[in-house]
Amino acid sequence: MIRVFVMIGCLLGLFATSAQAAPTRVVADLSEQQVGITSSYHGTELLLFGAVEGIPGDDVIIVVTGPETRMAQRRKDKVAGIWVNVETNIWENAPSFYHVYTTRLIDQIADFETLTASGIGTASLDLKVAPERKRNSDDRDATPAEPLDATAMTGTLIRNLQNMGLWKIHHAGIKVLGDRLFRATLQLPKNVPPGDYKIRVVHFRDGIAIGQETTDMVIKKAGLSALIYKFAHEYSLFYGLFAIAFAVGSGWLAAVAFRR
Amino acid sequence: MYIYLPIAEVSMHIGVIIGLGGGVGFLSGLFGVGGGFLMTPLLIFFGIPPAVAVATEANQIVASSVSGVLAHMRRGNVDFKMGGILMLGGVIGSSLGVVLFSFLRSIGQIDLVIQLSYVVFLGIIGFLMLTESMRTILRSRKPGAVRGKLHQHNWLHGLPFKMRFRRSKLYISALLPLLIGAFVGVLAAIMGVGGGFIMVPAMIYLLGMPTSVVVGTSLFQIIFVTANVTLLQSVQTQTVDFLLAGLLLLGAVIGAQFGSRASAILRGEQLRGLLALMVLAVCFKIGYDLVIQPEDLLSVEFLK
Repeated sequence: MIRVFVMIGCLLGLFATSAQAAPTRVVADLSEQQVGITSSYHGTELLLFGAVEGIPGDDVIIVVTGPETRMAQRRKDKVAGIWVNVETNIWENAPSFYHVYTTRLIDQIADFETLTASGIGTASLDLKVAPERKRNSDDRDATPAEPLDATAMTGTLIRNLQNMGLWKIHHAGIKVLGDRLFRATLQLPKNVPPGDYKIRVVHFRDGIAIGQETTDMVIKKAGLSALIYKFAHEYSLFYGLFAIAFAVGSGWLAAVAFRR
Repeated sequence: MYIYLPIAEVSMHIGVIIGLGGGVGFLSGLFGVGGGFLMTPLLIFFGIPPAVAVATEANQIVASSVSGVLAHMRRGNVDFKMGGILMLGGVIGSSLGVVLFSFLRSIGQIDLVIQLSYVVFLGIIGFLMLTESMRTILRSRKPGAVRGKLHQHNWLHGLPFKMRFRRSKLYISALLPLLIGAFVGVLAAIMGVGGGFIMVPAMIYLLGMPTSVVVGTSLFQIIFVTANVTLLQSVQTQTVDFLLAGLLLLGAVIGAQFGSRASAILRGEQLRGLLALMVLAVCFKIGYDLVIQPEDLLSVEFLK
């Protein structure tokens, strides 16, 4: 609640410097800059709020972008009566998480070209995709695989990641109060990829982006789950021995406890 | 209450995990099997990545085999010499299996190979068990049934490196248990099972071991094979989810006690017949998933 007063204070400051030609100022803050994936994590929600130098009819778009990740996209086909992966393409730099929030239907805010030019939407991402290089022992110095037409294939990637809940557009997911204050509940699904996130808030007027602000967020494993993950990755030999010792111990204990 | 599994990177309800452990534990107590062949497909079905399901299940089987082998050891039903040679083969085989698993995973074919192994081996074993138990049930209704020979001799008994196994009353080539151990070890590493469901029939029909020592000896060597898989997967792929294994174990320990008490109600061949039906059901379910067209032919996997 204290933050709301701080925010209103910022807003009052904005009135003095309102000028149409210069980019408008956007302020935004998150309820939490750090999200810990603890053992009880099952998806969470964050509150993003802020203010724009808005007039009636203005819009806001929020883009939440997760860390870039290499992804393998596989295609199945029927081989001898069963469905088998027959083709693999590697997406080199697609964001593992891409959620967009808008004040109303996105195509009512601005046209596709403007949105793309403003860095909004998957078309604005410079995605790279290439067929997986074949592992052939005899041509070790094979040239890198010829890149494929990412633009033509992005649709399939969107479909796959949408089904995983990782790419999504929340139409009218932002509430605007008095043309100036805005608020959105950011949804982080239970399978949210950990990493560094960027949250970009863009202010639109008459179909043109006139102001923006970017804020950072970190999602990382915390507590017991961070401890186990770290143990497994940094001391994997001891982790394995510990897992075996634990299993032998509890197996023995069970046998003794239930001995008739 | 949901719990986030740090290695699987999946959030699951704690009741589901313990329930799975308890349910499979009950069945494994009832039928005297490890239950890996049920648990691994179930974990995958509930959204655990196959690599994590297989490695974690290996870790859990270590515990259930230790628990099971102690009772057999007290009754002297473990042939340590035979178990040792099977174990040697098993450790070699499962090491190869882990390497093969990593390779198949890197080329995107691990799911297919896991599914195919389940269909083939569960299909064969389930079919053999079902026909055997049906025959026994039918024969027991007819009086005056004749007992067969203790075991039959074939070309397998002509192999070199003969060794005497006193507890099993056998004088056979050491190569035979070594090869069987290695073969089951490969399967154990790929399928996320202990391999008892293949090992036990192999010991009875291929090696000709007396049935009294078969289960104890099989459990004894499964401990080492699954411990080897746990260790190698921990070091190479970091796919052993300790939290998941621990919770499954908790359920399984309790379930197995009820299961073993319930097993007294049914007769041996009836139990084997039911087990065969269950094995075949898992086989058909996995086979069906391979044959029907998936909802989306394209899928995305994050590479680390």
